[in-house]
Amino acid sequence: MSLLTKQRWNSSRAREARLAWSLISPTALIVFGLIIFPAIFSIWVSFHDVGLHNLNDVFHAPFVGFENYSKVFNDFAFKFQDVQNWGAAVTSVVYSFASTILTIAVGLIASLLLNRPFRGRGLTRAIFLFPYVAPIVSVAFVWKWILDPRPSGVLNDILMRLGLIDAPQAYLATRGLALALVIFIQAWRYFPFAMLMILARLQAIDNTLYEAAEVDGANTIQKFKHITLAELRYVLGAIFLLRLMWTFNKFDDIYLLTGGGFGTRVLPVLTYQFSFQMFDFGRGAATAMILLMIVAVFMAFYVAIVMKKVEE
Amino acid sequence: MSTERKNFIGHLADWITWPRFIFAATMIFFLTSILFPFYWMVSSSFKTRAEIGGREPVYIPSAIRLDAYDELFNPDNPSYQKFGLNIINTLKVSIPTAIIAVILAIFGSYAIARLRFKGKNALLNGILLVYLFPGVLLIIPLFAMLAQIGDRLGFDVQDNLGVLIFTYLAQTIPVALYMLTNYFRTIPDEIEQAALIDGCSRLGVIWRVTLPLSIPALVSVSIYTFMIAWNEFLYALVFLNDHAMFTMPIKINTIFNDPSPRPHVVMAASTIMTIPIVLLFLALERYLTEGLTAGGVKG
Repeated sequence: MSLLTKQRWNSSRAREARLAWSLISPTALIVFGLIIFPAIFSIWVSFHDVGLHNLNDVFHAPFVGFENYSKVFNDFAFKFQDVQNWGAAVTSVVYSFASTILTIAVGLIASLLLNRPFRGRGLTRAIFLFPYVAPIVSVAFVWKWILDPRPSGVLNDILMRLGLIDAPQAYLATRGLALALVIFIQAWRYFPFAMLMILARLQAIDNTLYEAAEVDGANTIQKFKHITLAELRYVLGAIFLLRLMWTFNKFDDIYLLTGGGFGTRVLPVLTYQFSFQMFDFGRGAATAMILLMIVAVFMAFYVAIVMKKVEE
Repeated sequence: MSTERKNFIGHLADWITWPRFIFAATMIFFLTSILFPFYWMVSSSFKTRAEIGGREPVYIPSAIRLDAYDELFNPDNPSYQKFGLNIINTLKVSIPTAIIAVILAIFGSYAIARLRFKGKNALLNGILLVYLFPGVLLIIPLFAMLAQIGDRLGFDVQDNLGVLIFTYLAQTIPVALYMLTNYFRTIPDEIEQAALIDGCSRLGVIWRVTLPLSIPALVSVSIYTFMIAWNEFLYALVFLNDHAMFTMPIKINTIFNDPSPRPHVVMAASTIMTIPIVLLFLALERYLTEGLTAGGVKG
């Protein structure tokens, strides 16, 4: 080793970089081995015929080109057919956008409630977090039990007592209604995330803005529109993109509530069904890649707008 | 001298204004919609089979009956569910996940927060982007990959809690890394510099200075990583087949899909799974909320 390279090797900067890499290598290895490599491998699987029969010899699976993709695109479960049968692609988009918007709306109202001081605010805030932190399995099954189709279901009982329905309804087994309810339950479960993000921003708004507006004679609605909403614009956008991506990727909620039936089959559920009910891993991977491509569009927006703004 | 004596309604009428009314009504609406499902879960778990299967719902159980819990835990019960085993399996998975994820994230986050090296930002952004990846995308290649490796090294992919921990690390490390990096950045660099000048090594600084100052963050990151593993459903559903290896979420799903419906048992199991989490949040709300906005609960 020449003197110059030796100096560089021993310089404090180089030693720091070496230490950094040795500290981070176990994490980097896990992230690479369990996320990045599988993600790339998944592209490979989507172009090959992989089933349960050749799972143990997966690297010799026959190459099938775009066959898996064309199978997915032509599957009745995937493509839009008519107003009655949306197919997983359209259902996914409708479901994600509607749940995200509703979640943010509810979260905004909740944050406004908690933004003003009152006795017991800390406890109330903790209670408001329950739906979000409770295990999804418990939450899904208690909603299923509330919406139970038998007369002993709570919602059936209440609506029949009020005279709004004559006979018990199978809410989660009715096309249209099932999707609406799944969206509603999403908003019930995920609003606390939006609420906390908005609340943090609300508390950072400079109070003099409101005082100035009051001096100018602005009423409550004007103040809300021109100060509160204007100040929240950026955080609302960030929540929107984040929740949109997470909802798009969500499997458990719909799988547990409806099993993907009655017009609620979304892309993650379809991926699961192709892969682990039909054991056609190639087709499952192709579906997942289509899902990822749609999410990638949202990701691009997120990187361009949110992450860039954070760096500034 | 006649003082006007107001009754309760009179006081209320004075106090109430439109904004206050709207506030109170919305608050009541929120609290009922949030709490009713939880009340329904807990109260249903204390009902008998007759109460749960009757023509009409029983809003308030006549007495606290432990029929459902008996079925979960009592070996003499004709439909004994061995739920104790499922609790132990869940703990066997979630405790190691939390410990390993936090230890690895401590080193990784420290490097990102404090040390200068090439490719740091790319690495951090990459890890964050990975956090937005769909779980269903990764499960197929992971399953195929681990089946291959297991075949060579002679372990089973299915019904192997170790394999499950391994896949949970992929889900918990990104968030742990992100939360700890943010926290480490708030610790003033001067304290560490002083220790370095006093002759402490970097690892010594992490152990003696950084970690003691980060205890609240370490607690909250451990709780979040624990919770992710405690709640996880999809990977456990795919990787576990043997009832003796089931974690709680998969077991509850199985009881729910049993041919003879027993909602009180499902609710009892759900109550057991939910109570610890809810109590943790009530007790540590102040420390835990920040982690939520950092994505501590994915989804």
